[in-house]
Amino acid sequence: MPEQNITYEDITPLLLKYPKDQRHALAIMQDMQRHFNYIPRKGLEALADYLGCHISGLYSMATFYKSLSLKPKGRHIIKVCDGTACHIRGAVNLVSGIERVLGISADEVTGDGEFSLELVNCLGSCALAPVMVVDDEYYGKVTTDRLPEIFDALRGEARP
Amino acid sequence: MNYTILVCCGTGCIASGSLSVVEALQNEINSQGANAEVLKQIKKTGCNGFCENGPIVKIMPGGISYYKVKPKDAKAIIAQLGDEPVEALLYRDKGKAVLTQKENPFYAPQVKVALRNIGEIDPCSLDDYLARGGYDALKKAINMPPNDIIAEVEASGLRGRGGAGFPTGRKWRTAAGYDNYPKYVVCNGDEGDPGAFMDRSILEGDPHTVLEGMAICALAIGANEGYLYIRDEYGLALKHVEKAICDAEAAGFLGSNIFGSGKGLNLSVVRGGGAFVCGESTALMASIEGRVGEPRAKYIRSVQRGLWNMPTVLNNVETLANIPVIINNGGKNFASLGTEKSAGTKVFALVGKVKRTGLVEVPMGCSLRHLIYDIGGGIIGGRPFKAVQTGGPSGGCIPADMLNLPVDFDTLTSYGAMMGSGGMIIMDDRSCMVEVARYYVNFLAGESCGKCTPCREGLRQMLAILTDICEGRGKEGDVELLEEISETVLDSSLCALGKSAPNPVITTIKYFRGEYDAHIKEKKCPAGVCTAITGFEIDAAKCTGCTLCKKSCPVSAISGTAKSAHEINKNICISCGACREACRFEAIKTVQKGGLANAD
Amino acid sequence: MLIKIDGKECGCKHGEFILEVAKRNGIEIPNLCHHEGLPGQGCCRVCIVEVEINGWRNIVTACVYPLERECEVFTNSPRVIKQRAMVLALLHSLAPGSSEVSELCEKYNVPSYRRFVKKNDTKCILCGLCAKACESLGTGAISTVNRGTGKAVTTPYGEPSYECVGCASCAKVCPTGAIMVEEGAGSRKIWGKKIPLLKCKKCGEPAGTYMELRRAAEKLGEGMPELCEACRKKEIAEKLASIYGY
Repeated sequence: MPEQNITYEDITPLLLKYPKDQRHALAIMQDMQRHFNYIPRKGLEALADYLGCHISGLYSMATFYKSLSLKPKGRHIIKVCDGTACHIRGAVNLVSGIERVLGISADEVTGDGEFSLELVNCLGSCALAPVMVVDDEYYGKVTTDRLPEIFDALRGEARP
Repeated sequence: MNYTILVCCGTGCIASGSLSVVEALQNEINSQGANAEVLKQIKKTGCNGFCENGPIVKIMPGGISYYKVKPKDAKAIIAQLGDEPVEALLYRDKGKAVLTQKENPFYAPQVKVALRNIGEIDPCSLDDYLARGGYDALKKAINMPPNDIIAEVEASGLRGRGGAGFPTGRKWRTAAGYDNYPKYVVCNGDEGDPGAFMDRSILEGDPHTVLEGMAICALAIGANEGYLYIRDEYGLALKHVEKAICDAEAAGFLGSNIFGSGKGLNLSVVRGGGAFVCGESTALMASIEGRVGEPRAKYIRSVQRGLWNMPTVLNNVETLANIPVIINNGGKNFASLGTEKSAGTKVFALVGKVKRTGLVEVPMGCSLRHLIYDIGGGIIGGRPFKAVQTGGPSGGCIPADMLNLPVDFDTLTSYGAMMGSGGMIIMDDRSCMVEVARYYVNFLAGESCGKCTPCREGLRQMLAILTDICEGRGKEGDVELLEEISETVLDSSLCALGKSAPNPVITTIKYFRGEYDAHIKEKKCPAGVCTAITGFEIDAAKCTGCTLCKKSCPVSAISGTAKSAHEINKNICISCGACREACRFEAIKTVQKGGLANAD
Repeated sequence: MLIKIDGKECGCKHGEFILEVAKRNGIEIPNLCHHEGLPGQGCCRVCIVEVEINGWRNIVTACVYPLERECEVFTNSPRVIKQRAMVLALLHSLAPGSSEVSELCEKYNVPSYRRFVKKNDTKCILCGLCAKACESLGTGAISTVNRGTGKAVTTPYGEPSYECVGCASCAKVCPTGAIMVEEGAGSRKIWGKKIPLLKCKKCGEPAGTYMELRRAAEKLGEGMPELCEACRKKEIAEKLASIYGY
């Protein structure tokens, strides 16, 4: 959802799930990230207001924690595990394969907003290296020739 | 006869399709309808550890185990219950079919303490946990004076399984000694070491064990509140832990009145934000408090002033999973396993270029060789073993001539590596040790919190130098400079992340100096990994024209017709090495970019 | 409690930091990110020293290391000299534009590492003292952002901050003078924000930005001040003099 379409009515329910306490700042931002696919500026401002803290501290957190993003991500989030086991079992080739197929680099979003690509730390599925996770689905022992088929299927999925 | 069919539903097996296997098995049972004279029940269990061969299905009683099960196999499995096993689904060791885990070379040498329930119970069922003696230890501890609980943990010799190996009993005793309240108990489930997944498996497969361990700790130190800090990526673990807390509270094992004793412990789950540094205790606590996960100077330890400046005990998931066993069977009993200074067992994640990949639990003190060759079955494709990386980014690489080293806290540390959380990444001759060092430094440069100069700036410079070396721009003196920077980063960084960050560089220089020299002086990568200085050529004499390399090439750089020697177009080739992995005839050799053949 | 610093016996209180004790005893330990009003930053690591307790020697950070037992401190041991030189060299490649860092490098004979990648003529050493000052004053206009080698200090979204009152405390505490403050006719520009200045009724010099003075007045529950700091002090002194008849 683009920033201009987000209203405080969208944000408030996410805040009210938690008591007004600094220690819930991270959890609320994670919920926002899930809900909007990023942390909208309005969201950060509303959260600062709700917790009675400065926006700078929240901005600092939003840029520090990798699970939070200030820019919208793609509809499907491709996470390629670059843990050591995956790294020595071909994660680098997998990433360059995805880059070739989708025409984006890590931390970028495809022009149509369908996919974003992320390199993540170990996902703890080392036995299936190299591992890729799209949305919440795991793909183990991925070879680059399987990629077009996987992405085409995801593209075809109806929008909710 | 009643049968229970245990289907592994850990993250690994789910990725391999175990949920559809469950569905197919259930449909098969349903289709037999009420006529069935035997009762069959399906249980979704936690991770069996042998993820590479998932989905895993185990039939109880008897324990016949099936591997790589597909939904279409459901019919045969159900039809042959209590009959002849389904031959095709059994694990094969050197061609011989293996019926149960007891005979399986991957499982047979293991001693399961922390993992005792995993794979045997449904992690979402409190009854399953209770049926295996769950919460007995807590019931016992509630009537013990705190001092006795601590004494038992001290007697066990248990040391923290998260990395540093600090004696757990001593930590508890220190925290118990402070008189300011509230105190906190925190479980560190922010497993960040690349190549380690024991904590995930325990949280997913046996969450109540961890809660019970925390409750016992709370009784010992006098805490009423606790937190579990779990990586946000571990969806299944989060779900199971949250359910376990609800169930345990409803049953009166947690909450304000444990077993009606008037003592209480309220637990909450905090989802990690995705920062490796939050595995460091003070950073983790900052994160729970809702701040940026930056560590602070630890001259005053967190047992004294931790969460919100109050006494706090932070224990790792695996450490806590051992606690109920220690209380139930006694500390001495626990200490009888393992070595004198490293008691008990340790869970290792055996990953990388090893034949049998997975999670294994063995007594401390067993040799690296035993782990890698007896349990792991050696190197994939029979290639030569080169190194094992232990302890994640804080650990180091151990070379082949040290395979007889016993695995315990102090031995590994004395060789420049570290036990860490138990990740063991096995590398063969096609792993470049300079590139591995670069990989870890790159990882840490991105994961450092960036607060102190040596860690942030030291890693920045080290990364630049290592990248230069990997890309053929290394200079004489680079290795010495890397060592010089390493010394300062180790000595003067603020937290444990920086204080151990140079270990992968130091150990690879110490044990694999020749590879650095080859990159710097000859501009060549002996392992054929560093793409900037590596090219590939097909040896026409060895090539059989099987076309496997051509199929594996992601950029169609290989030409040739079946049964005739193939050729690589150097202008298109991106040096990814996929062809070399695919070739079964050793026909693809590495050459220096520019055409000079590598003398192996 | 008695401790030894470089062989000299020094008295100290339990829990006192090494840096304070050294300073009191005239022993110089170089540092950049330490500020008496904002203690505990401990991140530039220039003030590292070696501490020996029961035969164990460790590198510690003098500005945050609390003295809790008898020990011996070495501020110029070979190990300290070596590590401090590397820390300074690393800081120099981060902030080649900082004369403070260059001077320390010269003073402590830091060799130049030509292999190091230098950042472009910046002065900031990323110690975060500015953000700490801003936060502790209750303004919270700037903070550190990102992590690892991408660390920086900025206002949220890098835009002029709504919350900044232009007090320039960040610039005052900065050890390397890295924060730009442009004092123009009637206004001050900082962090990309232009804030009008209020002139002192007596001397005509700027008394501060309108926003910072209002903030201070609100906190103290007083009216807006009309004089600059210097004139205000002078006025109080004159008042006292007239009362006590100096």
